Amino acid sequence: MYRTIQVFLLSLCIAYTSVAQECNLNINVTVVEKHNGRPLYPVVAHIDELGATYATDEKGRFAIDSLCPGKYTFHFHSAGYEHYAEQVTIGRNTELKFRLAHLEGTVDEVVISGTREHGLLQDRDELSSRQVAAQSGKSLADMLQSINGVTVLSNGATIAKPVIHGLYGNRIVMLNNGIRQEDQQWGGEHAPNIDPFLTNNLSVIKGAASVKYGTDAIGGVVLAEPPPLRSTHGWDGELNLAGLSNNRMGVASGVVNHNFKAIPALSFRLQGTYKKGGNYRIPGHWVANTGVEERNYSATVGWKKLHYGAEVFYSHFNTDLGIYRGSHTGNEADMLAAIRSDTPLVPADFTYKLARPRQHVVHDLLKANTYLDSRWGVWRATYAFQHNFRQEYDVQRVETDDAQLNLTLNTQTLNLNLEHNQLWKLKGEVGVDGIYQENVMQAGDRVFLPNYRSTGAALYAIERYYGSDWTLEGGLRYDYRWYEAFNPEGRNQQVVRYEYNFNSLSGTLGFTKRLRDDWQITTTLSNAWRAPQANELFSAGLHQGAARIELGNKDLAAERSYNLNIESKKRFGSKLSTDVSVYTQYISNFIYLEPGADILTIRGYFTVFNYKQTNAHLTGTDLNAAYAWNHKLNTTAKASFLFARDVMQKDWLILMPADRLSLNTVYTTNLSDKLQECFVSADAKYVFSQWRIPANFDAIDYPRPPAGYFLADVSVGGRIMFNKQPLYISLSAMNIFNQRYRDYLDAFRYFIDQPGTNIVLRLRVPFSFNEHQHQ
Amino acid sequence: MKKIQVAAIILLAASTVFTACKKEELPTPAPVEQELITTVRLIVTNNSGFNQTFNYKVDNGFGSAAQGNVQIDDVVLAPGTEYNAEVQVWDESKSPAENITEEVIEESHHHLFIFQSTPATGAGSISFSNGSKDNENEPLNQKITFTTGAAGNGSLTVTLKHEPTNKNATTPDEAGGETDAQAIFPVKLQ
Repeated sequence: MYRTIQVFLLSLCIAYTSVAQECNLNINVTVVEKHNGRPLYPVVAHIDELGATYATDEKGRFAIDSLCPGKYTFHFHSAGYEHYAEQVTIGRNTELKFRLAHLEGTVDEVVISGTREHGLLQDRDELSSRQVAAQSGKSLADMLQSINGVTVLSNGATIAKPVIHGLYGNRIVMLNNGIRQEDQQWGGEHAPNIDPFLTNNLSVIKGAASVKYGTDAIGGVVLAEPPPLRSTHGWDGELNLAGLSNNRMGVASGVVNHNFKAIPALSFRLQGTYKKGGNYRIPGHWVANTGVEERNYSATVGWKKLHYGAEVFYSHFNTDLGIYRGSHTGNEADMLAAIRSDTPLVPADFTYKLARPRQHVVHDLLKANTYLDSRWGVWRATYAFQHNFRQEYDVQRVETDDAQLNLTLNTQTLNLNLEHNQLWKLKGEVGVDGIYQENVMQAGDRVFLPNYRSTGAALYAIERYYGSDWTLEGGLRYDYRWYEAFNPEGRNQQVVRYEYNFNSLSGTLGFTKRLRDDWQITTTLSNAWRAPQANELFSAGLHQGAARIELGNKDLAAERSYNLNIESKKRFGSKLSTDVSVYTQYISNFIYLEPGADILTIRGYFTVFNYKQTNAHLTGTDLNAAYAWNHKLNTTAKASFLFARDVMQKDWLILMPADRLSLNTVYTTNLSDKLQECFVSADAKYVFSQWRIPANFDAIDYPRPPAGYFLADVSVGGRIMFNKQPLYISLSAMNIFNQRYRDYLDAFRYFIDQPGTNIVLRLRVPFSFNEHQHQ
Repeated sequence: MKKIQVAAIILLAASTVFTACKKEELPTPAPVEQELITTVRLIVTNNSGFNQTFNYKVDNGFGSAAQGNVQIDDVVLAPGTEYNAEVQVWDESKSPAENITEEVIEESHHHLFIFQSTPATGAGSISFSNGSKDNENEPLNQKITFTTGAAGNGSLTVTLKHEPTNKNATTPDEAGGETDAQAIFPVKLQ
């Protein structure tokens, strides 16, 4: 089936080759200050027609290759500078120079510090809007997996959370449109509530990054950034459609941007996504009750004048998720029976219907921010309100419509930030953060978490010193966090009040140097801390997916991490470029679960797992090499290794991602005016079996980590031009050999295989109606 | 300068908003142990007037993490005798105690009681026959006939399965589904 379509698409491409026009233009762009001609860094450049975003280097430059001749609209954004847009006709290889005017017009020292989005020198990888669009239909975490050093912790195919350098959950911070996502990620079965279609840029900062992003960012940060609002009048937008064969899922997402002709300062964006899938299929079987439905929308209104502006953003995320019926077991014997069985114990056919156990989660975010350019720099104030409502529907004896868990988490945050203008050779930002949070359950809920509330405040400063070919960065942050929990205890479930205070400093020190034009080395030393979470302090209940009882520990201390990262980016000639990063991280008071006594319940004996603390040491490396055989054929190789030790037990840490290798080859060509950027790409991935497991593994977990596996994906696609209207189309096959495999970080590894072949058809239609175009 | 003052005022106002309303309590409602079973009860009778109740009671629900009280009665029966047995499940944490058996019978097709004897035959064993049916005439075994073996000691395991995939199963593993309760009684045939 897939083959037929592939042949069809290829022949479609070839049919148009008669009037072939090569898209092989190389453009070098330089952005300078209007008055004194000095290069500007960093500047974010967005090109409408490509839907792509670029950033200038220290010399104010960036390059675009494999460009087709045509008209392109460039937008430039830089802190302290006027937004600038220009349409350029490109017909040959050329050098383009753009001049940006400073908002004050009178200031001589013009080089402005990093924008908020590009503030840290830390190891950072991005997925562009194109890479995000090319994976539409996947969950956020699955998309991020294409970044080296990022893996996923999953519950089957529909629930996944990102893992950065072995750390996940509350050890990483997610920023949704600049706001720290607060969405009740208590366990592995709680996925982040973010619509990937909201963003045009997903990036990952690897390693401790608390100074800028707040406490908890021990493992790293995931940033989901929407594109800037439209600033020239007219309409534009995009429609994304995807159909996935494996679970017969359909995804539709659309976005519309407008800027008013009569009120040039006013712009808005409306966006919405609908997604529905049924039971998914593993080789040979359907998986019972694994459907998913998602309804998300967002709206943004912006008011942007020369020296000030404001924006209001609202997003709504709403999902219903089925959980494989066979993963909820009654006792250890049930669990063992499920593990021993080679086939799923709960038989199923295909259906879109969801039964128990299932989850319903709603996440709302309201954000208001304003900025003001002054001669001090750029002031920003951001307020956000987040409402997260999580319902869990357990399997019940008596039929009921009620959820057995109804948890609400409300969070308010406020940030004030000054990105100051250059003082001597120092540029940077200072700011304050405030947070207030309440987590409440409903009367009648089963045991899970006590109600709690928390307030916090923080002060931070990050400064950079720019040398000729080097940059030194230092940052310091002080956090204070207060918690209050109301825990029902004992036979009468008497509510006992607990109060916690945590406060700490965190810091970062980074140095980057360009050794030659083609070699850059960056070293960062940073630390971060994390207060224990409510479930780690208070949980006292059965974990149905694992047939064990988890017992919180009210005496846990804060985790503290120290992280050293060295990254080398080097090009060898024009064909080979490499990116090697080595990291080592020491975490004191690392919180983990240790098996303890068995207790007898009416369902039999259960092992009690207690939250304990140890010191952990994680060391690893991410290796990347890209080779351009010619300007059409590119190969990328990646490898990622992690060694995670429990320092106190002198043993390996449990549940850490296995080493992995991957190879991607893509051939891109323009076949004609009508058929551009046609590509065929092949991906191969090998994941080793995790052999670095603690000596007492068999007492804690059963069975041993699954065998290593090899996966292959193929894709073919291109851009079809109907007059000036582009249509992007692609067809991909994931797990093309319908390989049976299980992954160590998948909680369903005990019960069922990973999904089989999944064929995905994707369409993307960007559109634009410019009423007036800049010349 | 004015802008800094404005910012400072915003900051102050915000910190008051964040801290002002934190006096009121946020009491956690007493969590409800969903569909808790504390007790598996055997009511054993025969034609010659024998009438005994044996309890297997564990205070721990699914939510607790410390061992609560455990009360397990010995099932003392005569050897080589036929008895009528009825099994009941109760939630004795409530007052008055709730008879969960009624719910089980209401949803009888989604439940199955499984009886296992160790040893399976001979001294100290019990064999099972004439189990009661569910509303679709498949086994439920809420009522069953015990036939005791020769004098000796053994054990009797009673398991309540929810949503079994095989209603004719004689062991919990064969039955599939989820274990709602499992009671292991010591048996004394004397």
